[in-house]
Amino acid sequence: MSKSLYRDVLLDHLRHPRFSGKIEPADRSASAYNPLCGDELELTLALEGNCIREARTQVRGCAVCVASASLMGELLQGVSLSQAETYGALFREAMTSGELSSKDIFSLRPLLEVRKHKSRVKCALLAWNALEECLQNFQTTS
Amino acid sequence: MPDSLPMARIPDSIRQDFPVLSRIINRHPLAYLDNAATTQKPQSVIEAITRFYETSNANSHRGVYALSEEASELYEQARGRVAQFLNAPDTHQIIFTRGTTEAINLVAYSWGRSRLQPGDRLLLTEMEHHSNLVPWQLVAEATGAELDYVAVTAEGHLDLDSLASQLAKSPKLLAVTLVSNVLGTINPLRKIITTAHDHGVLVLVDAAQAVGRVAVDVQELDCDFLAFSGHKVYGPTGIGVLYAKTEHLDAMEPWQGGGGMIAKVGRDRSTWGEAPAKFEAGTPPIAAAIGLHTALDFVERLGVAQIREHERDLAELALGRLLEEPEVTVFGPRNPAERTGLVSFALAGVHPHDVAQVLDESGIAVRAGHHCAQVLHERLGVDATVRVSVGVYNTASEVHRAVDVLAEVRRLFL
Repeated sequence: MSKSLYRDVLLDHLRHPRFSGKIEPADRSASAYNPLCGDELELTLALEGNCIREARTQVRGCAVCVASASLMGELLQGVSLSQAETYGALFREAMTSGELSSKDIFSLRPLLEVRKHKSRVKCALLAWNALEECLQNFQTTS
Repeated sequence: MPDSLPMARIPDSIRQDFPVLSRIINRHPLAYLDNAATTQKPQSVIEAITRFYETSNANSHRGVYALSEEASELYEQARGRVAQFLNAPDTHQIIFTRGTTEAINLVAYSWGRSRLQPGDRLLLTEMEHHSNLVPWQLVAEATGAELDYVAVTAEGHLDLDSLASQLAKSPKLLAVTLVSNVLGTINPLRKIITTAHDHGVLVLVDAAQAVGRVAVDVQELDCDFLAFSGHKVYGPTGIGVLYAKTEHLDAMEPWQGGGGMIAKVGRDRSTWGEAPAKFEAGTPPIAAAIGLHTALDFVERLGVAQIREHERDLAELALGRLLEEPEVTVFGPRNPAERTGLVSFALAGVHPHDVAQVLDESGIAVRAGHHCAQVLHERLGVDATVRVSVGVYNTASEVHRAVDVLAEVRRLFL
């Protein structure tokens, strides 16, 4: 398949998004919106102490956006808030440099293909923007 | 369907005038089908701009030396060319701006801020581009005026009953597009403007998708204001036009101050020149105006009527093929006579960005998104659409190529 952006992994996540939906009531939530294309998603977190017990995203967006949110969802279940923050920073760095500097986020590797298409990088980052906002809320309110 | 249909209203050889069309994108010849966003530039336009910089560059209206006078003359000739193209009664009614957006902002600011009182109404339509919507929101916010919208029908026409009931509320101005950038609908503005004027309502026309594609005659339309962009009519970016009736230009205050627009400047206050200078503060986009002049020459050589036929034929082909595609919803009028050469559609279950991305991998450039018309997309009940829009150089085979890729999109995603 020459359509390299849409690797099997991404297509699988598109067809079967993991941890999609909304936790109600949620301990933390944040929405992210891409004004360029109208894509939007909502991330909801259920916490247990400093850990994410469950994370779910509700996405209305393109394949890259859906797959990225799904891959993020897989990573976030059961991790600490500070770990989640680290994942976010690592992923952003990887999207800039093209290199994965940590095995922890190896599952996000298929998303690096998106770097070739600058206009789509925002789609891949949308879920992570919502996570960042969730974590900021956490820091200011705790 | 063969490529050499009765469709060659404009010969394929026109493509040789456009250097960019020879590009190979993702191992395929570029099929540029995003002409509603911007058109490519013919060699004549590129050369006119280069020639200006190589032979005549100087600031306009400022020097007494030969070069400056030459630059001024070329700039004013461009204004004359635009006036002629739009059939404006007087050259002074043509104000150069950066584009349609700036032209509309100029009116919203200069006319709107001095004319509108709290409770006054402004009438827009649900199919306006953000450039003919946000400037009015800003002026409404500043003056306390209120916005109303003419509804759009399911098939993508302006709802004339809605228009009538909105005009009965006596808005100060109707801001309406001549051609929708999403639906392609050509609005019956001559009739609408007459009705608006019967109600004492001024009319601003967004002609960004119309100039060079359908006949635009400001005297025939009898519009109060009309705006368009150079870059959508084979000219350069950074140049646009506001046409206005002289009575409005005379009554309006400047919106930007600076060099070139003044009569006399004192320490505390200044007086202005007349239009158009009054609305053109600062060094104008001289090279871009010259490029626009050449672009309008190019369009006139082909003939707007010929371009219209060519684009309508291609739109009809695109429309016909898309309507046969499974899972595809096409927006806008079904009758090609009621629309220009752009067709927007949605493929159920696939985001428009993904459709556009797969098309790009075949070298086909189309636009996906809300096309700066979020109010309209809300009305249509979709987040985004894919838009195919043709220009003078597009061919039937390019339209076929684009639609053919949809099978691949379905294989990939559905």
